Amino acid sequence: MTIMENGTGPAPRTDAGPSGLGAYAAGVWAVVGMELRQRLRARGWYIMLVVWFGLIWLVTALTWASWKFQSSAQGDFGGVAGSAANGPGPLIFEAVLAFVLLFGLLVAPALSANAISGDRAGGTLAIMQVTLLRPGQLLWGKFLASWCAALAFLVVSVPFLVFGILQGGLGAGHILVALLMLAIELGVVCALGVGVSALANRPLFSIVVTYLVVAALTFGTLIAFGLGMMVTDGTVQANQVYYKNSYVATGPDGTVDPSQPSGQPELPQDITDQNDQFACYGPLQDQRAPRTDRVAWLLGMNPFVVVADAIPYPDRTSAAQQQYAVGAFESISQGARSAQAGPEATCQCANGKVAASYLSPQAPLWPLGLGLQLLLAAGVMALAWRALRTPAGRLAKGTRIA
Amino acid sequence: MEAATEPFTGLAAVGISRRFGAVQAVANMELHAPAGEVTALIGPNGAGKTTLLLVLASLLAPDSGTVRVMGIDPMKEPAAARARIGWMPDTLGVWESLTAREILTVMGKFYRMPKGRLPARVDELLDLVNLAELAEQKARVLSRGQQQRLSLARALIHDPDVLLLDEPASGLDPGSRVSLRRILRGLAADGKAVVVSSHVLAELDEIADRAVFVNAGRTVLVQTVGQAAAQGRRYAISALDPAALAAELTRLGVSFDAGKGRRDCVSVALGTEAQGAQLLADLVRAGVAVTAFAPAAGALEESYLGLDVEQR
Repeated sequence: MTIMENGTGPAPRTDAGPSGLGAYAAGVWAVVGMELRQRLRARGWYIMLVVWFGLIWLVTALTWASWKFQSSAQGDFGGVAGSAANGPGPLIFEAVLAFVLLFGLLVAPALSANAISGDRAGGTLAIMQVTLLRPGQLLWGKFLASWCAALAFLVVSVPFLVFGILQGGLGAGHILVALLMLAIELGVVCALGVGVSALANRPLFSIVVTYLVVAALTFGTLIAFGLGMMVTDGTVQANQVYYKNSYVATGPDGTVDPSQPSGQPELPQDITDQNDQFACYGPLQDQRAPRTDRVAWLLGMNPFVVVADAIPYPDRTSAAQQQYAVGAFESISQGARSAQAGPEATCQCANGKVAASYLSPQAPLWPLGLGLQLLLAAGVMALAWRALRTPAGRLAKGTRIA
Repeated sequence: MEAATEPFTGLAAVGISRRFGAVQAVANMELHAPAGEVTALIGPNGAGKTTLLLVLASLLAPDSGTVRVMGIDPMKEPAAARARIGWMPDTLGVWESLTAREILTVMGKFYRMPKGRLPARVDELLDLVNLAELAEQKARVLSRGQQQRLSLARALIHDPDVLLLDEPASGLDPGSRVSLRRILRGLAADGKAVVVSSHVLAELDEIADRAVFVNAGRTVLVQTVGQAAAQGRRYAISALDPAALAAELTRLGVSFDAGKGRRDCVSVALGTEAQGAQLLADLVRAGVAVTAFAPAAGALEESYLGLDVEQR
């Protein structure tokens, strides 16, 4: 650096490293390194990992045992095992995945939500703030470190997911997508936890608030969706439904009406659309229907919906395959997508069309849901960044004055 | 207000005010800490010392007033100012599961020090604060005084021009206090501006060149230690025969009263050190067996007690 470049300003003596993005990343890595070193030396983390391993093992073993029992019982009665016909692979995979997500949502706040409030309580936050670290570097470092700690739990559960895959019925793509989505969900929770911890004064408070946010995402979105569906009551243009093969016309005394030899009312004349089960007939009329498409985004924010919807499953719209969802995650995905499609697509005979009993993999819901989750996390992080800026204009209540 | 036309090297704060809700923690405080000197910040609990230091450390924004760290405004250029400020908080705040060496190394990284120079600097500081033998120990197992010394080393890692120390002597054993004094005098000799807040006033007589007395958020007195020593102070005198001492003092026309501390000693107010030397000579010449003749309190302590400050 020449005198000319240096100008008249004071010579930077400490800033001799790389500049720009490289220097920024170096600061982030310094925070990550320090945080991970501290976490690796905490015994509680290892205990939690062992407990976690044991729990997932238990879930896997019980799922496998229940399948064994079920299939052998069905074998005794000579029946064809329903879901068991495919082998225990999908069952174990889904059970393990659901539990890993559930436990992950429970563990991630504990790993992240005292990251900054704990430092504040211990008096080490100001020591980092007074250095050349910028608030963003502090936040990124804390976030990445807590995410790494949370991902370790995911790594521990990989053997069980692989076990599920090895039982057949699923491909390696499933495990990759599932792990990726779980990792992202853990990252969202960690970001929320770190963000909340920068806003809160006390570690306990920030941990509780983060748990409440996770609960709001997991249960609150379901409740909000249910309530939202009621208030977004709308109308849809639909005509009458004719159920084929399902009417048994009976007389007033319970006997079959002989004037209807087939036991079936006559097929109406003005059919607008039909398939082998339903037919739509008559003029279009306004019918009340919940506009689920307006509140489906609430459902989409649910971590279970995001993961379930992102995991691929075969297109079952072709007649050759069974026309109902197999497995819990596929059912969740189908439910969420039908909510997103709204009454126009799911209400029978809306616009005079027969609704498909099974939605083709149309526009998936998870990008919207995940996007909203990321938006929420980014918003909390932005507030956290504001709170960490120094020289601080405002101090949180309860901070020591002099 | 903007009277900073004359060049001033060191730390200058003018008209600093800061309010927390209804509490005016700092009101129009002023502090000049010239480079090459140790400036003591003295005041009762709750006088606003820590708040002022937080403002000076660029952690807290003042409601009004200006701060210049070696001519740099920390509000406008926080990074440039922070590269020149070393801050040792009154709370220990150590990362308990890291070793002393790791703590200093990571602080060097936070200050973007070049990697190659860092290990040598860490060793140098561990030697300076006498923690070289405990370098690989977790901070958790260090005693309070050792953690305090580590905290001092941490504030020095990037070789700052301005050093802000909040109660650095609390928790230190006598040996560590002596070495703290030596370290601070050494830093001042190197041309650093050192600001020390402390309650141990006798200690500050030895360390500080000047003192800023604050009370209820205001600067109430600024004086050098030389001025403090020249303003007159009380001496405590004891003799083998207290009665003879009392009689001789009465004969010399020196007013005295019974000392507050140890028994069998009297307290005398004298204007200058020369008067003290003269009185001692007179007493000895008169045959009084004087066993102790010393200032009853430190120079800064005299100033402090003379201010009649209130605690809040």
